[in-house]
Amino acid sequence: MSQVCNPVEFKFICPLPNGLHARPASQLAEFASDFACDLSLINLRTGAAANLKSTLAIISADIRSGDECSIRVAGTDETSAGAALLGYITRDLPKSDEPLVESGSERRTGPLPRALLASGIRCYFGAGVSPGIGMGTPVIVGGITLPAGLDSEVAEDAKREERRVERAMATVRERIKAMLARSVSPAEAGVLKAHLAILEDISLSDKIGELLAQGRSAGQALAESAQFFMSILQKSESSYIRDRAVDIQEICLRLLEEIYGPKFTAASVELKQPSIIVAETMAPQQLLGMDRQWLRGLVLEYAGRTSHAVILARSLGIPTVVGVKDAPVLLSGERELVVDANRGLVLPNGTAAVRRFYDGEQQAIEKRNAALTRNKFRPAVTLDGLRMEVAANVSSAEEVAAACAQGAEGIGLFRTEMLFIGHDRAPSEDEQFEIYKRAAQLADQRPVIIRTIDIGGDKPVPHLNLPAESNPFLGYRGMRIYAEHRELFRTQLRAILRASAFGKLQTMAPMVSTIEEVQWLKDQLAQSQNELTNQGISFDAAMPVGIMIEVPSVAFILDQLCAEVDFFSIGTNDLNQYFLAVDRDNAKVAALSSVRHPSFLRFLKHIVDGVHANGKWIGMCGEMAGDVRNLAILVGLGLDEISASASQVPALKDRISQLSARSCEELLARIMACTQAEQVNKLLADDHRDTSQSLLDSSLVIVESDSRSKEEAIRELIDSLFIAGRTENPDRLEDVVWAREAAYSTGLGHGFAIPHCRSDLINANSIAVLKLRRPIEWNSLDGKPVQMVVLLAVHESDANNSHMKVLAKLARKLMNEEFRDRLMKLSDSGRILSYLSRELEIPL
Amino acid sequence: MKIVAVTACPTGIAHTYMAAEQLEKTAKALGHQIKVETQGAMGIENELKESEIRQAEVAIFAVDIEIEKRERFEHLRVVQVPVQEAIKNPVSVFKRIQG
Repeated sequence: MSQVCNPVEFKFICPLPNGLHARPASQLAEFASDFACDLSLINLRTGAAANLKSTLAIISADIRSGDECSIRVAGTDETSAGAALLGYITRDLPKSDEPLVESGSERRTGPLPRALLASGIRCYFGAGVSPGIGMGTPVIVGGITLPAGLDSEVAEDAKREERRVERAMATVRERIKAMLARSVSPAEAGVLKAHLAILEDISLSDKIGELLAQGRSAGQALAESAQFFMSILQKSESSYIRDRAVDIQEICLRLLEEIYGPKFTAASVELKQPSIIVAETMAPQQLLGMDRQWLRGLVLEYAGRTSHAVILARSLGIPTVVGVKDAPVLLSGERELVVDANRGLVLPNGTAAVRRFYDGEQQAIEKRNAALTRNKFRPAVTLDGLRMEVAANVSSAEEVAAACAQGAEGIGLFRTEMLFIGHDRAPSEDEQFEIYKRAAQLADQRPVIIRTIDIGGDKPVPHLNLPAESNPFLGYRGMRIYAEHRELFRTQLRAILRASAFGKLQTMAPMVSTIEEVQWLKDQLAQSQNELTNQGISFDAAMPVGIMIEVPSVAFILDQLCAEVDFFSIGTNDLNQYFLAVDRDNAKVAALSSVRHPSFLRFLKHIVDGVHANGKWIGMCGEMAGDVRNLAILVGLGLDEISASASQVPALKDRISQLSARSCEELLARIMACTQAEQVNKLLADDHRDTSQSLLDSSLVIVESDSRSKEEAIRELIDSLFIAGRTENPDRLEDVVWAREAAYSTGLGHGFAIPHCRSDLINANSIAVLKLRRPIEWNSLDGKPVQMVVLLAVHESDANNSHMKVLAKLARKLMNEEFRDRLMKLSDSGRILSYLSRELEIPL
Repeated sequence: MKIVAVTACPTGIAHTYMAAEQLEKTAKALGHQIKVETQGAMGIENELKESEIRQAEVAIFAVDIEIEKRERFEHLRVVQVPVQEAIKNPVSVFKRIQG
């Protein structure tokens, strides 16, 4: 039947604030696909034309908010299609871009050093997940690079290649649909639907078909098609559209993996100089394949704190920042990058100011670490002789050696979830055995507490098919899944037991809430031990067995539990959220969540005392244990052990050696009597200072400083306090000094400046002196540059004590010309020190 | 001239005392009799007695913040300057009290 063609045409203006990006485009294409006629669109701003049935084509037309577009409908059902489409565009299109809910990603908080701000350099923010600072040339990894062999593969049979692509597309499509069926959050569903739309997009399959017809292999056709669309989308000014380039890449990677299997991800990157790897995401094998001699840092756009590449990076000590939006695109043009994983930022190393800042920073960190080394390998003992073990938390065997090198006295928590998450299947008994054995051996007779698998709810594992729950934290998680997944648990227990023959292993179960659960655990353990005995396989029959304290109920059956287990470890995040009934990711109630709340501290005291009354051992492996400022509480509680991230171990040990257990107990008693968390913070801050230290010592007098600006000079002085252990947070302290500077300049005239602050970030009242090689501008009272900078830093709560009197005396003396002249003439740090100590009567 | 003075700066650990020092030195050089009370991080020091305030002809406030016990000076002529002024140019501060 032939029909007279009478095309329908109309125009519209794009009503969407973010333009016609992937989600609205995929919905529009889905709607258009129901009609038989040809539907096309022209963006009248750019002249770009698009087939309305193709999401990719619509996205590629780069339609921004307010762009005028014309639509042409031609073919059999053109009249009805035109009317329907007009209706869709006026009614539904404006509503098709409901905002996606941002996932609560970790962001850096806290002030940036002024020297960096003043450099005017653009910083890119993310989350630092493996601490450290690295510098090098950016190496952009990713895109669709075919590994050697595949890129030169010759397609012998075009039909066969076509079938490979079709099969892969069908499989990936089914997989996404299956995920869609399970997914609960609308945001996640939206992304999956966009992926599905790309997969079903005719523009993509047309392009692939075209390339296959030219004799490309399946892999080459996929890679080239992906590159083709990505390069169009990446040129868009809209970040929403640029994001879709990632979706295409993701889909094509899935297809390539489907076709080639693990061979595909084996593409390796050759490094020839100090390098920073920048990628959207990274597989652990890829990271392992890199030359570590040149690998200085890692910037990933998409990767969680617990992704495998990140865990590996942490164990290898590679500074890593994740969540840097559009990293590969934004950073590709830079000659050199700095990865500052301590602050969670990435910046071009383009100016002298940035280079100088990070040179100084690295020196300061090295000096601080050297200072901490004094006590690093000694057991942590308080001034009055109380011993507290300081252990490290790890997620892989590789991290054990690094932790021991930081002075960890054991592994207080070996999280095993990472072995299960992100894999298609659970690791076998032998695979796990090798991992636990390696951990035991690397620990070299130090105890290693292996926590059995802790998943469910917030940590989904696809191969276990755990159901989605409306309230996962109160649901099917931790040891509660063991009974159903008995084989999984049995395999892990056997692996741990077998490894126990090779070191001092202990095992611990998560999320215990009843005594029955513990009895069940012990039955399982006894069964596995019997099996191994019968099989003639050796294991440590005396391996200690413990449980996590995360559920408040266990605090009231400690007597019963102590009869069953050997030790306990407190998981503070969960225990706190269950105890106070607060989800700390919920901004509305997060303020209620505090591990320093007096009620929670009383609860902890009850637990520790209860365990000790029954003669058992108790540690803490939660986040609370990693904060030096909580140490007085932890010592006061009388914990046998604390376990934190390895990088924290030296500072924790150092601080314990400065505390007195008796005064910590007294402090804890006062804290528990408080009625507000704020009072607790105040008491802790007041306590967190070292009154035994002199105001001044030789490390705080610097001569011949090369600082070239006020920003650099203040930072150099603050760094000297950090190196001496007089502050733990130089960035925040710097901010306090600058806040004072904002009131009016502290440049006194006569070449002197006296920046100063009162803050509880100061552990010991201090005078720090900096004599500059070249005078610098300070906006002084007499308009002259400054050559001598004297920083006065005192603890917030200090008043009316001898230190304050000395500072007042110094301030008065600085008004005295003779004093200033003498000081200015001295060029030797020892002489400056002795002159000041004599004039101010400071004992050294 | 008999003068009483109060100095007080935002942080209370440096400029309060520098200003006090400058006022004392300059008063001496100019032949005035002065007593300077400091209100700093250590609280009120060298506190002015009621009798001293009564006998004074003028009060100098070298302050950047609200001072404590201001009511003591209700019946006295007060010359107020920023702390910085007392540090930078104390002589000019004393010139202002002449008027």
